[in-house]
Amino acid sequence: MKFRCERDTLAEAVATAQRTVASRSGALPVLQDLRITAGDQGLELVGSDLEITNRVHVPAQVEEPGVAVVPKLLGEIVRRLDPGPVTVSVAGDEAVVTAGRFTTSLRLKPAEDYPRLAPNEGQGVRVDAAAFAGALRQVVRAASKDDLRPILTGVLLTSHAGGLRLVATDSYRLAVRDLKGVSMLPEGQRVLVAAKGLTEVQRLAGDGEIEVVLRERDVVFRTSRAEVTARLIEGEFPNYEQLIPSGYPNRLVVARDALLEALDRVQIVGQNRDNAAVRLAMSATGLELSMSAQDVGSAQESLDAKYEGTELTVAFNPVFLRDGVDAIEGPEVLLETVDPLKPATLRAADGSDFLYLLMPVRTS
Amino acid sequence: MTKDDASILHADLDSFYASVEQLLDPRLAGLPVAVGTGVVLAASYEAKAYGVRSGMPARRARELCPRLRFVGGNFREYQRLGDAVMGVLGDFTPRVERVSIDEAFLDVSGARHLFGDGARIAGEIRRRVREELGLPISVGVATTKHLAKIASQVAKPDGLVVVEPGSERGFLDPLPVGLLWGVGPATRARLEERGIRTIGELARVSPAVLRGLVGRATGSRLGALAANDDGRAVAPGRRVASVGAQSALGRCPVGEAPVRETIAFLADRVASRLRAKGRAGRTVTVRVRFGGMRSVTRSVTVPSGVATTLTLTELAVGLACGALADHPGEREVTLLGVSVSNLVPEAPVQLELPLAGDDPRQAGTPSGLARRAVDRALDEVRARFGRDAVGHGSVVFGPRRGVPDAFRALAERDGP
Repeated sequence: MKFRCERDTLAEAVATAQRTVASRSGALPVLQDLRITAGDQGLELVGSDLEITNRVHVPAQVEEPGVAVVPKLLGEIVRRLDPGPVTVSVAGDEAVVTAGRFTTSLRLKPAEDYPRLAPNEGQGVRVDAAAFAGALRQVVRAASKDDLRPILTGVLLTSHAGGLRLVATDSYRLAVRDLKGVSMLPEGQRVLVAAKGLTEVQRLAGDGEIEVVLRERDVVFRTSRAEVTARLIEGEFPNYEQLIPSGYPNRLVVARDALLEALDRVQIVGQNRDNAAVRLAMSATGLELSMSAQDVGSAQESLDAKYEGTELTVAFNPVFLRDGVDAIEGPEVLLETVDPLKPATLRAADGSDFLYLLMPVRTS
Repeated sequence: MTKDDASILHADLDSFYASVEQLLDPRLAGLPVAVGTGVVLAASYEAKAYGVRSGMPARRARELCPRLRFVGGNFREYQRLGDAVMGVLGDFTPRVERVSIDEAFLDVSGARHLFGDGARIAGEIRRRVREELGLPISVGVATTKHLAKIASQVAKPDGLVVVEPGSERGFLDPLPVGLLWGVGPATRARLEERGIRTIGELARVSPAVLRGLVGRATGSRLGALAANDDGRAVAPGRRVASVGAQSALGRCPVGEAPVRETIAFLADRVASRLRAKGRAGRTVTVRVRFGGMRSVTRSVTVPSGVATTLTLTELAVGLACGALADHPGEREVTLLGVSVSNLVPEAPVQLELPLAGDDPRQAGTPSGLARRAVDRALDEVRARFGRDAVGHGSVVFGPRRGVPDAFRALAERDGP
């Protein structure tokens, strides 16, 4: 195999494919490397841990077609090269990389050890890339990172009222986003997609449209920059609708950006302390945020806000609260509460397509 | 740190519980006295002269000393007098590190211009404790904590030993290795097999040989102690780093049921002490000792602090059963211990959404909150009506233990 590719093109492609290689030394060490295929169409770079696969196609001058499995080192090397053409030629178990007056040779694992991945065939449904990426930004953050609860590491995609609904929860918070008029799934279908894969989709969304190909065991997202294949997670997603309270006696409306900035200032005293909670004292005079941490100190800030309801103080994990406020699009945030122990809801004051449900922290 | 002169004191009350009993009932003065009922918890010097030792079954003690007088135990008085002695120590220096109910280290290097040198202060402590509280106390004075502790042991009963700087080697060398901190019967036996009986002989063994003999960690520590290398400073009011409890089981046949019962009992004690301090711990360690003094420890570290009785019980039972499964050849369990370290302040609880199949070990789930509520209710009832007023069934109806709870409360230490 031998090809020539521009340094910038190759560096970006390697970086993308590298993000989804297997991180731990599992059963197949070869999965920690990248597979590069050179053919008539240019290069295909693949990184996969068999759960998530990133595939990138880039133009290249292919002198000799072939397949090779290349160590991640390639990325570090290419990143440090000057702009200009890079030549990679593979002979036996060695790849020689040349650029300008620099040359290196890398030992390769046998390409035939790389598992066969199902080809990304099939026609899919097209969705607007920016809208879909925006919805992912709001929802993916609420998914769990705890592999002990595999179902919660996924994002539920389901058809809802003629559109698409995305739902994620880590059991502390729940994010629900409706994309109206987007018909990605047939009516009544629900799939659970690994949040890690959707993070890649959000990152690689680019412009234009994303083509979504739903298959029996996985789903392929074709973007303008790369293809992301994510395994579907099997199992029953929790019945989330019953978690959302039907009514709230207390409603607070506050400016989103001011709240974010105040949160960032107040939570500094509790940094690196997973047990520090931010208190929100709500009354007719407005909102007061406060936080204190043993041996560190305390901070408070008051904000103008409109409040209807009884005077109430609720405490939250500051990171979870910030995640929710940050996910909201719109100038004002509506925070609805029942009492200090029941779930609270955040949404845009002027919109109803996104909801972030958050459990309080009990401080006594 | 080795100081230029002897200013570290170790003050240790002599046969504390028995001495208190003799103080409270003057008719017992001068007689062999044992505290306890089924098991000797403490013995007076008069009883020790007959070979009576703490931990000994009462029947065996009576065989050795037919005149032995058993007394029930005034645990409140032990606590009160122990505290009063600490008060006397505190009059000389604030640098007092209490290590148990009846012993403490003092660093008097800053107090000499007020009260004289270490030996003089030690004498004054002994005089005041005797005159004001009526109790005998032995004091060791040296340049390090370890040496001061050995000196106080050598000083007993009711004595004072000062190890002057420069004379440490001559003092230590002829003493038996059993006086070194951490040398129990098993280690002593192993050393004796190799002809090592005195600290001097131990100090001459090469570090590599010593590690091969008693294990890497113990070997390094013993070598350092035998060479009088002890960098520990007197740490007044130090933060507790672990909370533990243990039970000797006599010779209990290996089996899951008795182990479960004992672990549940110990976990209840440890968890309630953690809660009383407002702490929780992330690392749970279980110690299992088999017949022949072979012991193993198992530990697990969890993402958030544990102070819930049932959760600690489950984790500890899991560890103990794992240790048993790893040693299928063992026939007897002679001791079980549970301790919790990696302590953190008891944190506010992040509540969880009521999803199906929640984990009761997670504090914020509805079932986790229920466990917490049970603990709080138990703690409150016990605070008002005593520890025995209420408890978990498996513990309350479990086997009787030789050692009364009130004695445990005094003896259980929070570790460094």
